[in-house]
Amino acid sequence: MANEHHGADLTLGHTLHATRVLPGVLTAPQVVSTWRTRAAAVAVVFGLFSLVFLFVPLGKEHLLRAYLMGYMTCFNFVGGALAFLMVQYVSGGKWGQILRRPLEAMTRTIWVLILMLVPILLLMKHLYQWAAFPDAVSKLWAYHNGLMTQEQQLTATSKQTMLNPSSAWIQAAIVLGIMALVITLLNRWSVQRDNDPLAGTPASFDRWRVKFENLSGPMILLYVVLMTDFVIVFVKSLDVTWYSTVYGLQFLVAQGYAVLALGILTLILLSRYEPIKTMFRTTEQHDLGKLAFAFVMLNIYLCFAEFLIIWSGNVPDEIPWYLHRIRGGWWVICSLDVICHWVIPFCILLSRDIKRSKAKMIWVCVFMLLARLIDMFWLIEPNFPDAAGNLHITGNIGILAYVTVPIAVVAFWMFFYLNELTKRPLINVNDPHTEELLEPEHAH
Amino acid sequence: MPPREGVYGLLAEFNTPGELVQATKLAYGAGYRRMESYTPYPVEEAAEALHFHKTRVPLICLLGGLMGLTTGALLEIWINVWGYPLNLRAMPLFSWPAFVVPAYEWTILFSGLSTCFGMLALNGLPQLYHPLFNAPNFADGASTDKFFLCLEANDPRFDRLETRKLLESCSPISIVEVQH
Repeated sequence: MANEHHGADLTLGHTLHATRVLPGVLTAPQVVSTWRTRAAAVAVVFGLFSLVFLFVPLGKEHLLRAYLMGYMTCFNFVGGALAFLMVQYVSGGKWGQILRRPLEAMTRTIWVLILMLVPILLLMKHLYQWAAFPDAVSKLWAYHNGLMTQEQQLTATSKQTMLNPSSAWIQAAIVLGIMALVITLLNRWSVQRDNDPLAGTPASFDRWRVKFENLSGPMILLYVVLMTDFVIVFVKSLDVTWYSTVYGLQFLVAQGYAVLALGILTLILLSRYEPIKTMFRTTEQHDLGKLAFAFVMLNIYLCFAEFLIIWSGNVPDEIPWYLHRIRGGWWVICSLDVICHWVIPFCILLSRDIKRSKAKMIWVCVFMLLARLIDMFWLIEPNFPDAAGNLHITGNIGILAYVTVPIAVVAFWMFFYLNELTKRPLINVNDPHTEELLEPEHAH
Repeated sequence: MPPREGVYGLLAEFNTPGELVQATKLAYGAGYRRMESYTPYPVEEAAEALHFHKTRVPLICLLGGLMGLTTGALLEIWINVWGYPLNLRAMPLFSWPAFVVPAYEWTILFSGLSTCFGMLALNGLPQLYHPLFNAPNFADGASTDKFFLCLEANDPRFDRLETRKLLESCSPISIVEVQH
């Protein structure tokens, strides 16, 4: 009887499947260079077009704010990629193996990200009240001259240790410095892992797995703390008076949302060419789609929970933040944010067939990335007195900078991301999952 | 109710899962839909060849969820706005943010229950009698080392001679005509 079992099992593989083999060339296809050139072209065109806003009323202010929005979008890509990279090292899984090299490429743009922060640091007094009035005396002066409300003056003074120009520089240096360190280590080890003389043996697999786990585990925790600090200093502090304990987590989830959308998009577009054509199975695409669905859900869960608690509390400290973002025309953006960021991706990603379709997922991912921009606009612009509870375009043509500048900034970043993508083989070979990716796929 | 007498279907027995999957694909290609494969352990390819994923459970789940959402929301709206209007903290009677969480819970409850019972309704469980056990080779083979494909008689394509011919072309070990 036992022998018959064996006979039955063995024939399955031979009769049903053509065996797939690891492609000979694992580097990125030539087409990535074309995409890179296109990204550069988009960045230049939109960048030049944005210069128009220097000459319109409130244009300079909006250029800077829109730059912050573009910057934070890129920060979300890099930070989210780092978080995902660490999570997949800790959790394992074939979805993480196929996504690893694109994630690494995103993280390696950290140096660009650091340089891109410099304009914000240099011009921060035009963005943040706490930077414009850095000490208690100037804050009091600002209050007496009607530039700050009393609440703003008192809160900003009490938060002065954290929110002042030099401490913003220090916090940025610490956060981005530690991120850069972890990114450098993870990326260096990843190459060393492939070049391991013992590559392909269980001893090598275990050694690298443990090494990556030991760094990633604690760093996930540290990253969440650092990232929370960073977004509080550079985004939330645009409104010094408001508090929310879930703010950092919302950004973390938004990072996951954006990185998954970009990651799936990258893989699908690369899957038209070798080596990803052979390696990227529908199973992994489906898994990544499910993960994206989870992030769509988690995002609305956190955002709505925050809203519900503040709405229920209805206290004067907190509620204006929402009133600024709902009243005076902002309800359009607010509704668009909910519809584009949650309702549409949620309904679409419910479908199993769409998650498994390459052609359709391309558009879902692009839509999700656009939805991220709406969300970021809604978070940033109403912080400023001229826009709070008053969304208007008449006499405020500069607000259109929010369309051109983030596109230019993201395309600029995308240039470096695609550039990094060409530098390494697209598949990490010395990993047991690589072989599993070549196995035939099953229906779940 | 399906007919309780006469032929239930033709049961073909195979030695390997590979043959079973090929026969299933052939039958599916020939237009048969009311068929089922029986294997001693899960054979994913067989499920795929049967297009097993195209069931109506997801639709039932979706409809259940929408029903739960509507029921929950309408119940809350009726209670708060018309049934027992109470002025709490000077909030409007129709305070939708407060309704979201319970309506969401109703959605989950209804979609969960409809998925569970919809699945049971569609797969016919619990079932105390199944005609396939009338086939002498089935009970032992399907739980140890044989792979079965049954083309059921209630398929519009089913024809005792034609269907048998189709199965014979896959050279099974045996073909049994199963009675209800």
